[in-house]
Amino acid sequence: MASDQPTHPLVQPVVRPVVHRDVVCPFCGLGCDDLTVEEEPPATLAVRSTDCPVARERYARIPAPEPPRVAGVPVPLKEAVEAAAAVLGAAQAPLVAGLGTDVDGARAALALAGRLGAVVDHALSDGLYRNLAVLQRTGWIATTLAELRNRCDFLLVAGPDPAALHPRLFERWVTPTATFQTLPSREVVFLCGEPLDGTRAILSGLPVTVLAGDSARVGDAAAALAAALADPSRASGAAGIAAGDIAALAERVRKARYAVVAWAASAFDGAHADLTVERLVHLVRDANRHTRCAGLPLAGHDNVVGVNQVCTWQLGVPLRTSLAGGAPLHDPHRFAWARYAKVADAVVWVSAFQPEVPDFPAGQTVIALASPGTAFADEPAVFIPVGTPGIDHPAHVFRSDTVVALRARRLVDRGLPDTATVLKAIAAALPQEAPTC
Amino acid sequence: MLMKLAGARIYDPANGRDGAVGDLFVQDGRIVGDPGPGAAPDEVHDLAGRVVMAGAIDIHSHIAGGKVNIARLLMAEEHRGAAEEPCGCSGLATPSTHVTGCRYAQMGYTAAFEPAMLPSNARHAHLEMADIPLIDTGGYLVLGNDDLLLELLASGAGEEAVADYVGFMLNATRSLAVKAVNPGGINAFKYNQRRLDVDENGPFHAITPRRILTALAGAVQRLGIPHPLHLHGFNLGVPGNVEATLDSIAAVDGLRLHLTHVQFHAYGAEGDRKFSSAAARVAEAVNRRPNISVDVGQIMFGQTVTASADTMAQMNNAGLAHPKKWVMMDIECDAGCGVVPFRYRDKAFVNALQWAIGLELFLLIEDPWRIFLTTDHPNGAPFTSYPELIRLLMDRDHRLARMAELHPALPEHTILGSLTREYSLGEIATMTRAAPARILGLTDRGHLGPGAVADITVYTDRPDRRAMFEKPDLVFKDGRLIVRDGVVVALVPGSTHVVEPAYDPKIEAWMGRRFDERMGQRLSHFRIAEEEVRGGNGLIRHACRPGSF
Repeated sequence: MASDQPTHPLVQPVVRPVVHRDVVCPFCGLGCDDLTVEEEPPATLAVRSTDCPVARERYARIPAPEPPRVAGVPVPLKEAVEAAAAVLGAAQAPLVAGLGTDVDGARAALALAGRLGAVVDHALSDGLYRNLAVLQRTGWIATTLAELRNRCDFLLVAGPDPAALHPRLFERWVTPTATFQTLPSREVVFLCGEPLDGTRAILSGLPVTVLAGDSARVGDAAAALAAALADPSRASGAAGIAAGDIAALAERVRKARYAVVAWAASAFDGAHADLTVERLVHLVRDANRHTRCAGLPLAGHDNVVGVNQVCTWQLGVPLRTSLAGGAPLHDPHRFAWARYAKVADAVVWVSAFQPEVPDFPAGQTVIALASPGTAFADEPAVFIPVGTPGIDHPAHVFRSDTVVALRARRLVDRGLPDTATVLKAIAAALPQEAPTC
Repeated sequence: MLMKLAGARIYDPANGRDGAVGDLFVQDGRIVGDPGPGAAPDEVHDLAGRVVMAGAIDIHSHIAGGKVNIARLLMAEEHRGAAEEPCGCSGLATPSTHVTGCRYAQMGYTAAFEPAMLPSNARHAHLEMADIPLIDTGGYLVLGNDDLLLELLASGAGEEAVADYVGFMLNATRSLAVKAVNPGGINAFKYNQRRLDVDENGPFHAITPRRILTALAGAVQRLGIPHPLHLHGFNLGVPGNVEATLDSIAAVDGLRLHLTHVQFHAYGAEGDRKFSSAAARVAEAVNRRPNISVDVGQIMFGQTVTASADTMAQMNNAGLAHPKKWVMMDIECDAGCGVVPFRYRDKAFVNALQWAIGLELFLLIEDPWRIFLTTDHPNGAPFTSYPELIRLLMDRDHRLARMAELHPALPEHTILGSLTREYSLGEIATMTRAAPARILGLTDRGHLGPGAVADITVYTDRPDRRAMFEKPDLVFKDGRLIVRDGVVVALVPGSTHVVEPAYDPKIEAWMGRRFDERMGQRLSHFRIAEEEVRGGNGLIRHACRPGSF
């Protein structure tokens, strides 16, 4: 395969590694922008400034480019685009999903989906929807990462340690001094979850309490805590945590000046984990009767938050929306990609952040835009390798807190097209229609 | 290409034209002078009997950014069920970017400005504004609750340092103006303070709202930013807040100040219901002081959603949410956001009086160059209610008929029934075109003189002013026809308007350290590069003139 490739800058002998400083990491949604990444011959990147496993693994996985394939046969990009357009032009119920891409990629995906009358969703929207379902039902009180860092004097981590998904959460946003509090101490409590070893080490300078309990019942613990806020002496135990501990915790929340309740919903168990989120949201709301308290719902791998933002502003409704009828029809149940993939007759799957694509039902027609080196259980109808946002091309991505958008710059040139370019080319290869309003 | 718009009645207050019949010529997207009898236009529109104005400009409409998306998420019901339009465009209070651009253009608007762009959310707002077709946009930067500024002020920094900070922030975030929202109040709310007096030190930064307000108004003047400080004042929605509004006018001591959605800040606490109109007092103060301008923030009846950076005020209103769900966010040591769905009811006394207070302000403030037509979209009502609002201003009979349908106690609490003023077409053109362009410093917009951008709206002169302003015959953007008979015929991109005031870059060293220590973000990453806004195509810079205001 390599012999088919045009000569590429990265395979030329490089004398010294190129050092990229202050790199914006687009992968997990924490928006770390302080990475040092070394470019080493022949074609690798290595993160030098942090042990973050997500950053280390993602930057290290940049395989050499490979040509697009149609039915397993290498073809030029133009042919792959035309083949994709031919498949999609004939599709009756297409799905445009995965959407692991930057803001421009999301724009192009939505434009294509609009042309096709497709359903749109992101690969990781399960975790996002556990939060959005509650936001849409009841609303919430939330905060952002710099507020956590500078104002929070009491952090309650609910459920499994979010550092498993967002490794530098505590290092960057919890251990620095809370600058905008007069008593800049900070206390951390883990409720129904145990801190990872790395988290324990990083938090060694702060008072940490672990109320391990039953992590599957963190919602029960939140409800007991909310009930105890009004009168801690009447606290009851829940989720394996004793009444006395709940009472002490309620007392502590009340005395906090700015409490933050953080959770990573994708780590919660069960099909109805949104109900767990709902109880955490109620806890936060009730705590505001006594002091200030805000929730920090963590999500955001592969720019799921940014793609949802673009979808919401362009369609008026979030992901899990069908454009089949002209008007966007939003239904978080029907149009979840995993469900809709079972009835779709063609799938455009975008995975520009990592070389991973789910296994689709046998016989599903798949057009995959993914990182080179992606392994497929079944060869897709069309495979177009695309560059990684923030590695191969500049990219806008959103942080987990939904507020901050960052621009990650290009580090290397593997000669790979970006997602937006490919999707626009596919849309342009479809029969043209006049714009309407 | 030369285009001639022939024989229309031209309302162009900036150039002293008030309905006289004349021709307009457009070449390469701009208005040009009469090329003389020898010229052969490529395209002629015979507009005899029609009314022509510049494209309308909305100086205050929440059209992009985080809180708008939160409002969309909360109000998903708006988009459910049958589409309102054949094209599937849905949502009045929370339209998508596409629908926002189309609806504005269909009403003859060619620009709308997002008045509450938080520094930390500015990149998002720009990404979103770029997706609004057909109209120009720009953002006003929210300052005055940002911990860095409050820290700077509390440290006793002088006017120059404050101006440098503001200058840097405007440049870095690609903003057009400075907005202050309940200065100090949003910050205090983060320390669980539910109110803060104008002369009370904040709970953490030892600085008063009055000092923040005057420092920002001073910085705007020092930097020579065309638009005066855009102030969302104190105690929004609280009966008796007129005292704080009048106090704000006094506090700036002759500096220019724009009071936004002043309807929500013109409340007395008198009478049997402890809620009364103070419109006359506000109008009197505005009429007397040429340094003050206002936009109204008129409420109209029906379902909407309120979205504001003012978490202190919104938390107080959360109990009134309809439907019963709301969102508050503390945001990034900048400000916050509160989104509360709300239904204004015509049979509710408070809502009826709010409606009347807005109209009293419109009719009592004399100078149409200093009062602007807004509903604070979507807070008072969706912007799509402007045509009805124009009819209320231009048609007293309609106003009285509408008033008679409202809460029966209303007439004894408002002087609205006695106000006979009816706006003229020329005054509407001033208030929605010439004056917004002038107060934002957009020298080549809002008028139809040679050199102006050819953003033009053509109406049929109908006695029903709502019908007239709802559906112009023709709308041109940059000389190109975008709407014909209410139908969008071309989807063109807009531009983004910014200012780039000069400042001493020494402030960046101090800010860079603060960003590293506190914000967890490099200052260089906070700064938005030119090519990030509309891919580098579509930034329009407006001159700052230190010392001229």
